[in-house]
Amino acid sequence: MSHLSMEALLALREPGVEPGDVAAREHVDGCPACRAELERLHQRAARLRALPALRPSRDLWPAVRVRQRLESRRWQQRWTGVAGFLAAASVALALFWGDVARPEPADASAEIAAARERSQVLESALEEYNPELRVIDGRTARVSQALEDRIAELDQQLEAAQLRQVQRMEEEQQEARMLQLWRERVGLLNALVDVHVTRASNVGL
Amino acid sequence: MTLTRTLPMDPYLVANADSVLAGARQGDAAALEKLFRAFESPVYTLARRICRTAEDAEDVLQETFFEVCRSIGRYRGEGSLWGWIRSIAASKALMRLRRNKYRDTDELDDAMAPSRREDTALRMDLEAALERLGETSRAVVWLHDVEGYTHEEIAVMMGRTVSFSKSQLARAHVRLRRWLGEEVHA
Ligand SMILES: [Zn+2]
Repeated sequence: MSHLSMEALLALREPGVEPGDVAAREHVDGCPACRAELERLHQRAARLRALPALRPSRDLWPAVRVRQRLESRRWQQRWTGVAGFLAAASVALALFWGDVARPEPADASAEIAAARERSQVLESALEEYNPELRVIDGRTARVSQALEDRIAELDQQLEAAQLRQVQRMEEEQQEARMLQLWRERVGLLNALVDVHVTRASNVGL
Repeated sequence: MTLTRTLPMDPYLVANADSVLAGARQGDAAALEKLFRAFESPVYTLARRICRTAEDAEDVLQETFFEVCRSIGRYRGEGSLWGWIRSIAASKALMRLRRNKYRDTDELDDAMAPSRREDTALRMDLEAALERLGETSRAVVWLHDVEGYTHEEIAVMMGRTVSFSKSQLARAHVRLRRWLGEEVHA
């Protein structure tokens, strides 16, 4: 008679009945060796669960906090950047749209500065509203998540564009590109503000 | 909200679970630290059992709580808090396994010195035997037998199949049985 494999014994511990379990159960009932093996299996698992809890050799909370603070500062900077951009946006957008085709370099940097400022205003508006802490419905959550994702993407592109600009490559083209990115960012933040604030005032939150 | 099923928990946290959680969600540093203190040991234990080194386990502990601090606002109280934190910890630990691509040491041992091991009257203690298992089967045996994850859950976490999880568990038990000197019938 061949005894049960480890897999077959383990299967007997699982909830539910798989094909083969019935035969295996019958075998165990009639086979003291496999019964003992199954018992040892249970004991081994119990001994694993009874192993002592472990602790790190040093306090890691300060390290977590430092990292978390760095991250939230980064987040704040990002949002501050965007919000300033956004606050300026209602005014700035009008300006932007007037000059989409061929931004003069000087105007482009002025517009970028304005957009940045507008971003900051909109971000502080959002921060004040604090969407993170509010319960929102699934659709709002999805829309705002999509907007936030797109903003994060834009930020990466802006960072890259800025880097290239710092390296003095194709300065004018970069500026035009950055202006375009900033415009999109302002637009997205406006949408995000709309999604959260308008909805909140509608339902009286 | 239930904080825990089986975990021995800091009585302060149990008594003040809702206010601690509310504080943590608002980013209150003291509340976040209370969460950390309540769960650092179980998270570290899980990480240490899965990862090869203490340094890796410490990194996993940090990464886990960094993530907890960041997304506690998204924890809506479905399921236990420990279950939520544990799933973050398990995925961080498994990610580290994948990234470090540890060699599966017991496999290597089997290939290189099969006879020497038979010769040595092996009777290790459980912790040493567990430590000696290959990374993957140790992770599976820990997640399944100790943390109580199902093969289906483990398969998802590891990006493998259910039968992979089952065979890794069997492999772990065959080795543990041998190394613990429990081998009876052959
Ligand atoms: Zn048998």
